[in-house]
Amino acid sequence: MAEHLLTVDGLAKRFRRGDSTVAAAEAISFHIDAAETLALAGPSGSGKSTVARLLLRLIEPDAGSVTFEGENWLALEGAPLRTHRAKMQMVFQDPLAAFNPRATVARVLDDPLRIHRIAPRAERPRRIAGLLERVGLSTDLAGRAVHEVSGGQRQRVAIARAIATKPSLIVLDEAVSALDVSVRGKILELLADLQRTDGIAYLFISHDLGLVRVFAHRVAILDGGRLAEQGDARAVIDAPQSAVGKALVAATPKLHGFTGQDAS
Amino acid sequence: MSAAPQVPLVALRGLTVAYGDDALALSAIDLDIRAGERLALIGESGSGKSTLALAVAGLLPASAKSAGTIVWGGAPPLGGRDIGFVFQNPAGSLDPVMAVGRQVAEVARTHLGLSWTDALARARDLFGRVGLPDPDTLVHAYPHQLSGGQKQRVTIAAAIAARPKLLIADEATSALDTIVQAEIVALIRRLVAEDGMTLLFVSHDIALAAELADRIAVLRNGKLLELGSTRQVIGRPQDPYTQSLVVAHISLDSPPLFAATTDIPVNG
Amino acid sequence: MRGRFLQTPEAMAGTAILVLLATMALAAPLIFPGDPLRIAGPALVPPFQDWTLPLGTDRLGRDVLAELFHGARTSLVVGLAAAAASLAVGAVIGTLAGFAGGLADEALMRLTDAFQTVPGFLLALAFVSIVGPSLSVVVMAIALSAWTGPARIARAEVLSIRERDFVAGARVVGMHPLEIAFREVLPNALPPVLALSSIIVAQAILIEAALSFLGLGDPNRVTWGGMVAEGRTVLRTAPFLSIVPGIALVVTVLGVYLAGEGAVESAAVKKGLS
Ligand SMILES: Nc1ncnc2c1ncn2[C@@H]1O[C@H](COP(=O)(O)OP(=O)(O)OP(=O)(O)O)[C@@H](O)[C@H]1O
Ligand SMILES: Nc1ncnc2c1ncn2[C@@H]1O[C@H](COP(=O)(O)OP(=O)(O)OP(=O)(O)O)[C@@H](O)[C@H]1O
Ligand SMILES: [Mg+2]
Ligand SMILES: [Mg+2]
Repeated sequence: MAEHLLTVDGLAKRFRRGDSTVAAAEAISFHIDAAETLALAGPSGSGKSTVARLLLRLIEPDAGSVTFEGENWLALEGAPLRTHRAKMQMVFQDPLAAFNPRATVARVLDDPLRIHRIAPRAERPRRIAGLLERVGLSTDLAGRAVHEVSGGQRQRVAIARAIATKPSLIVLDEAVSALDVSVRGKILELLADLQRTDGIAYLFISHDLGLVRVFAHRVAILDGGRLAEQGDARAVIDAPQSAVGKALVAATPKLHGFTGQDAS
Repeated sequence: MSAAPQVPLVALRGLTVAYGDDALALSAIDLDIRAGERLALIGESGSGKSTLALAVAGLLPASAKSAGTIVWGGAPPLGGRDIGFVFQNPAGSLDPVMAVGRQVAEVARTHLGLSWTDALARARDLFGRVGLPDPDTLVHAYPHQLSGGQKQRVTIAAAIAARPKLLIADEATSALDTIVQAEIVALIRRLVAEDGMTLLFVSHDIALAAELADRIAVLRNGKLLELGSTRQVIGRPQDPYTQSLVVAHISLDSPPLFAATTDIPVNG
Repeated sequence: MRGRFLQTPEAMAGTAILVLLATMALAAPLIFPGDPLRIAGPALVPPFQDWTLPLGTDRLGRDVLAELFHGARTSLVVGLAAAAASLAVGAVIGTLAGFAGGLADEALMRLTDAFQTVPGFLLALAFVSIVGPSLSVVVMAIALSAWTGPARIARAEVLSIRERDFVAGARVVGMHPLEIAFREVLPNALPPVLALSSIIVAQAILIEAALSFLGLGDPNRVTWGGMVAEGRTVLRTAPFLSIVPGIALVVTVLGVYLAGEGAVESAAVKKGLS
């Protein structure tokens, strides 16, 4: 148990909806090792974001345990929790909604450095420039408002913010879904590169199995809040065992029909 | 593809749009949208797809300056009723403090003149059609209680609530899983076929565009690079840029990235 | 933006009135130096008779025009200070309630209800009669009754903002809840709260006038309400003494209201188009 970076055991969360409740997560168990990418795939509403929000302690589970870096993660509260948050970060799907609309790029990156006392005030501008360079952005961007940079640039800023505290795990909730192919390819390369150099582990949430297959080591497929299957990413996607896995693979849009001779 | 009428629903001639003093977001676009067709607009981020979609719907922000003409085949459309618009950012187009069912019913009520009860019933029906689970309780949910894909389906329901002639979907399915995406694609197909709706489908997913559209228009840097039938554009792309888009597509047989020593996914 | 704001004639008229009022208030000590309550001539000179006393004098021979100018100062100071105080208090309480949720929200909202059910003027009246009349007490008394509107609107706005991703993002990065509430959430909740300011300013001016009319204003300052009350005793013989400050009050409130509407409208236009 203790060797894994993150161990999740029996995690469960129900939401009230009207008079009934929905089980958004039920008996979820998985683990992630350092420098590893576990993908969380599954249909819309299957509970992927719920698992992410549970891990990040944005909502509290009804049952289950989470061990992160050898600590009982769910027992942390208040100031100790805030301190430990440095080690687990998140990148959201919609980079525009994920930043304060009034913030500038510099302020977005200044927050983690200030809160976790990573650098004294005088040194922070240099650190911010360093972070921007690390994610392949020009340092001129620091003074811009977050809504004045393009979608791809904004997602790079989000990654820069996530790596500012030197985390060991980053949860990527559909972090590249909204980006077009060329930008998406570059962001994925950046993430893979960060993993190689800094040993960061990812929980990569995506509904796109094509993406999961190229980016993740292992995949866990969720359906209706439960784990349907789990295993090596390529093995699972090339030959899914569960019904939902098969359905997801079958429904993935393909170009073959058109690039070949015969189109429908 | 064959039976499209000759009079276009809307004809863009020399459409040019600029925001502030920046470079042109669209330059001299000539494009016909035929009544009853499914036209896909593809291109990289910042190529002007949303700008074109907004221009057709008459929704450009005040800061945008435009030139050229947009001529409608029939009577000029009434925004909201004749044009349904699914915005790129689903969270931003929903009111966070109003139940989602009410938001959809509101559209049906104002444009179809339904009573509140009928409008709510229509909202429930639409929720079922866009594949939302348990429509009877979901109509009472607030946006933050829905998953990303569920919110996106609500915005699609709102866009088709008034039975528009033209449905403009700006990245409408980018947050949806492939199963729901396939359902939505089937729903949109049915709407186009049954209700005679015309579709302008904006996407950066070339494979999805290929599955849904009769014709594909490729934009880059605000210019229309290529326009043709889906088979032509995907099967025999003329422009080198379109060719690179077809090649860069990440599919189920692209080689994995983590094992690679060089930058792969773009050249799979 | 400024161009668009001034496009409607109403907004233009409102702004013109406010500019005039502000000029009067600022210029009062220059044009009419010294105490406006001192005797400047014979009593009850009617207006437009003596060019050194254009609006005549009151029962005690005080210069009505000088009083009008100095009264503008009081009205403006009270209106702005009371609005600023009630907006600040309301925004803070509303933000805390909306952001904390649960019991704290419940308690703060009951408190707001309690204040809102008592008519604002009675509350101010009670407060001033207990603490005693002075300008700062009047300001406080008015703020006491006016903070509930901003508090409600701030809370509603915060309730929707706190579900947004960027608040979750702030928590993920380890920000302290109070910093999230006041640095991330509150500034984004302010615009609709500020839209209330014109109504509050207008209300404050009227409440101050009413308090002064009842003799509960600051006795060391000229106020329009006090002038109306003063003129009441000679209403038959010298009606202008009550009419002139009365008109000033109406025009001021109208100006504040029109300019406020214009500002809200141009903000709405901006928002709708972007
Ligand atoms: N705050 C909430 N209140 C009530 N129900 C909720 C809440 N949050 C999520 N749910 C429900 O829980 C289920 C799982 O939602 P979740 O957001 O985890 O799905 P997801 O897998 O991330 O889907 P998507 O791919 O569409 O984002 C959904 O049915 C959703 O409606
Ligand atoms: N409101 C705006 N103000 C200023 N510039 C804008 C605005 N909206 C878009 N632009 C600029 O116009 C160009 C075209 O943008 P548009 O949104 O049409 O691109 P897009 O093809 O929809 O891209 P994406 O795939 O990222 O949504 C971009 O360079 C963008 O930065
Ligand atoms: Mg989700
Ligand atoms: Mg766009």
